[in-house]
Amino acid sequence: MDTLSRRKFLQLMGVSSAGAIATQLSIADIVHAGQTRPLPTGTPILVVVTLYGGNDGLNTVIPHTDPIYKASRPGIYVPDSQLIPLDSELALNGTMSGFKALWDAGDLAIVRGVGYPTPDLSHFTSMAIWQSASPDESQRTGWIGRWLDTQSHDPMQAIGLGSVLPPLLVGENEVGSVLPLGGLLIPTGTTSYELHKLGVKDPSDGPLQAAAATAINDLLGLSKNLTPILKMPAPQPDDLPTQAGGSFGSDSSLSQQLDIIAKLIAAQAPTKVWAVSLGGFDTHADEVKGQSALLGTVSSAISRFMSQMHGSNRQNDVIVMVHSEFGRRVAANGTQGTDHGTAGPVFVIGNGVDGGKFYGDQPSLSKLVDGNLAVTTDFRDIYATLIEDVLKVPAEQVIPGWKTKLPLLLA
Amino acid sequence: MSTTDRLELSRLIHRFGFGPKPGEYAALLASGITNARQSVLNPPAIDAGAASVTPPTLTDLGDYPPQKSAALADFQKARQGQILATQLWWLDRMAKSDHALQERMTWFWHGHWATAVGKVQYALPMYNQNHVLRNIALGNFKDQARAMIIDSAMLFWLDGNSNTAKSPNENLAREFMELFTLGVGSYTETDIQAIAKGLTGYRTVRSAGTVTFNEKQHYAQPISFLGTTGTFDALGVSDYITSLPANAQYIPHRMWYRFISSTAPLLDQSVYSAFANRDIHTLVLTLGSSSAMRNPTYSQVKSPVEWFVSVCRALAITPSALPINSNVVRYLATMGQEPINPPNVGGWPADEAWINISSAQTRLAFSQYLLQQAKFDSLTAVAPGDARINALADLLGVAQFSERTKSVLRTALSDPKQMVLIAINSPDYVVNA
Repeated sequence: MDTLSRRKFLQLMGVSSAGAIATQLSIADIVHAGQTRPLPTGTPILVVVTLYGGNDGLNTVIPHTDPIYKASRPGIYVPDSQLIPLDSELALNGTMSGFKALWDAGDLAIVRGVGYPTPDLSHFTSMAIWQSASPDESQRTGWIGRWLDTQSHDPMQAIGLGSVLPPLLVGENEVGSVLPLGGLLIPTGTTSYELHKLGVKDPSDGPLQAAAATAINDLLGLSKNLTPILKMPAPQPDDLPTQAGGSFGSDSSLSQQLDIIAKLIAAQAPTKVWAVSLGGFDTHADEVKGQSALLGTVSSAISRFMSQMHGSNRQNDVIVMVHSEFGRRVAANGTQGTDHGTAGPVFVIGNGVDGGKFYGDQPSLSKLVDGNLAVTTDFRDIYATLIEDVLKVPAEQVIPGWKTKLPLLLA
Repeated sequence: MSTTDRLELSRLIHRFGFGPKPGEYAALLASGITNARQSVLNPPAIDAGAASVTPPTLTDLGDYPPQKSAALADFQKARQGQILATQLWWLDRMAKSDHALQERMTWFWHGHWATAVGKVQYALPMYNQNHVLRNIALGNFKDQARAMIIDSAMLFWLDGNSNTAKSPNENLAREFMELFTLGVGSYTETDIQAIAKGLTGYRTVRSAGTVTFNEKQHYAQPISFLGTTGTFDALGVSDYITSLPANAQYIPHRMWYRFISSTAPLLDQSVYSAFANRDIHTLVLTLGSSSAMRNPTYSQVKSPVEWFVSVCRALAITPSALPINSNVVRYLATMGQEPINPPNVGGWPADEAWINISSAQTRLAFSQYLLQQAKFDSLTAVAPGDARINALADLLGVAQFSERTKSVLRTALSDPKQMVLIAINSPDYVVNA
C-alpha cells in the first residue's frame, strides 16, 4: 500500500506532519506586516501557476511545420490560420497573443519537453510528483514547503489563492497560508461575545482542533490587516496593448487570483511565493475550443499581471512559472480530444528571465515512447533554478541530491 | 456514561450519519453504547423523514438551443433551476431523514464515483445516478460498479460516451481502476488500453439520462488485461475487476480513509475480511463497531456539507426552506464543496484541507444565514448556566466542549442563538473529535 501515501499527499490537498499543522499561521506578528516590514523592492517574488488536468503541450507550443503533427491529430490540430509562429518550427496557439508580446520583449522563456523519468499517467500521482518535486513515493512534503522549512517562521511568506491549501506549500515544519478569493470580511454581528477566544488553543486540542483554532485566530487577525488592501482597486496595467486583455480576460478565476496578488504585492506584502491555479485542462473530448479558450485566459491573465507589476515598480522582481502535471498523447483519440501523456512545455516569465528563447530539446514526433513524447528536460532543473536564483537557497536543501540547473535567469 | 462512550457515539452519529436530531444523542446514550451502535448502523426499512421530502420535477430539456437564440435564456434558466432543485432535494433528504446512514453512504459513494454536473450540465442524469447510488449504498459493491460503469452521467463525465472500437478513449478505463475499484499501482498502461476497448460502444443521451449499447461501435475482438483474455463488454470488465483481490483491499481502505482516519493506515485485517464478499453493509458494520471508533487519535474534520447538514439536523432547519435558498449552494461552493459538483474525478479532499481562514470566514457568514430559521426550544428550556452548555453539547452531539469553548459560551448564556453560533464555529464542532 506504499502507493497510497502518494495519493494521500494530493487528495488531502495539503497534509503533512502534525508538527507542521500545529505550528502554522501564528498571525499575531504579521498584523500590519505590509506597513511595518514591507518586502523591500528588489526582493524576488515567485508566482507558481498550476494548470490542473494535464495541458496539451502540443497544441500550446505547436510543431506546426512537422507533418507528423497534423497527421497524428486530424480534427484537433491547430490550423495554420490560428498560429502565432515563434520560429520556423514552433508556434504558439493563436489565443496566446499576450505570451507572444512577452516573448518578443525577451521576458518569456519556453522550456520544452519537460517531465521526469518513467512518466506516470495518473493525474494524481503525476501532480503529486510535480508538487513534491520527487518521483519518490515516500516524499510527503511540497517543494515550496521545504523551502519554507529553510526560512524563519512567517505565515505570510508563501500564500495560495483559493479555498484549499495546495500541497506544494506544505513543509515538514512550516506551511503556507491560504487566501480566499472573496476577501476577508468578518460578518457583522459575529464578533460580539468574544468570538476571537475560539481562536485560542486548548490543552485538550488534537492537531486538527488546534489547526481550526489557529484558522479563527488568523481570520480575525488577518482581516484587520488585509481588508483595506483588498478593497483597493487593482493596480492598473500601464503598458498593456488593449487587445491583449481582450476577449478571454474577462472575469476568469485566474485573473481574479492574479488581481488579488497584484494588490498585495503593490501593498508590499512580505510574501515571496504565491500559488495560483486554473483547472479544466483534462481535454479527453472536444479539445480544440476548450483548450484554446483556457490558453487564452492563461496568456491574457498573466500578461496583464506582468503589466500590473510594471505599474507597481515590481517588474524586475516577479518571476512567473506555468506548469501542468503532464502533456497529452500525440495522437488524437476518437472523441476529438487526447488522452493522458507525458512531456509538456513549461513557461518562465519575467523581466529577469533570459527569454525570447527555448530551453531543452523539442521532443521528436517520430521517436515516441508508447505513443508519448520522450521527456527531454527534468522539471527539477527548472525548480532548482528558481530555488537558487529566485528564492536564494541552495537547491539541494529543497531537492536533495539535485545539482543541475538551466540558465533561465539573467545574471 | 463514560467519556469514551460519549466520544464513540459522537463519532457514530456524525460519521455514519449527519449528526443527531434534537434529543437523539441523549436518547442513544441512555440506551447504552452497544444498542446505540446497532441502532446507528442499521437503517429501518422505511424512513418517514426522508420520504417526506418531495423529489424534484426533472424533465428532458433536450439539446442546447443555438447561441444567441431567443430560447437560450429560458433554457438556461430551466437547466440551472433543475440543478438547484436537485441539490436542495438531496440536502433536504440528508437533513430530514430520521435515520441518516442511507444518505451518509450515498454521500460517501457520490464522493467515490465523483461525477460533476459542471461537465454533465443536466440535472436528470445526475439525479438518476444519485438514485442508483442510494439504492445500492449498502448493497453489493459488484452491483454498484456494474451500474456506474454504464451510468449516463458517468459515461458523459469520463468520455465513455464517445469511446469507439476504432479509436478508444482511455479516460473511463483509467479512473475506473485507479480511483473506483483497484487503486493506483494495481494495473499497467497496457491494461488501461485493453479495458478502454472493452468499454466501447455505450452511448448516452445526457439530457434524458438514457444509455444504449451500440454493437457496431463495440470492440468485439478478445482483449487481454490483468491476467485474463477474452471478449468483454463493460459489465464483464466490471465483474472481472471487482473480483480481483486488489478490490477487496481498496474499498475497505477508502472507507477507512473517509470514516476513520485520512492519515493512519488501515491495519485491522478484520475490516478487510468483512469485504470479502463485497457486501458494503457488512463492511460498514465492522468498521463502525471497530475499536478504532474509541481511539482518541482518530479525529476528523467535518467537510462543509457534513458541517452544514449536521447543523440543520440539530436545529430543525430545512435547507430548501431557507430564504433565497440558492444561497445554501453558494455558501457550500464558496467553502469548496458543492453537492453533485466535485472539483475533479478524485472527489473532495479531507481533514486539514477544510481548515483555513477562508473556510472559517465563510462558516461564520453561513451560520448567521442559517440561524435565521433555527429553533432553539431545547436550549431555552434549560436554565442559563453550565446546564445549558451541557444541553447544547447533547443537542449538537459534541462529546465534550473544551474549556476554551465553554469560556466563550459563558459570555452568551442568555442568548441561545449566539450560543449556537459560537458552538458551531468552535474547533470542538468543526472537528469531530
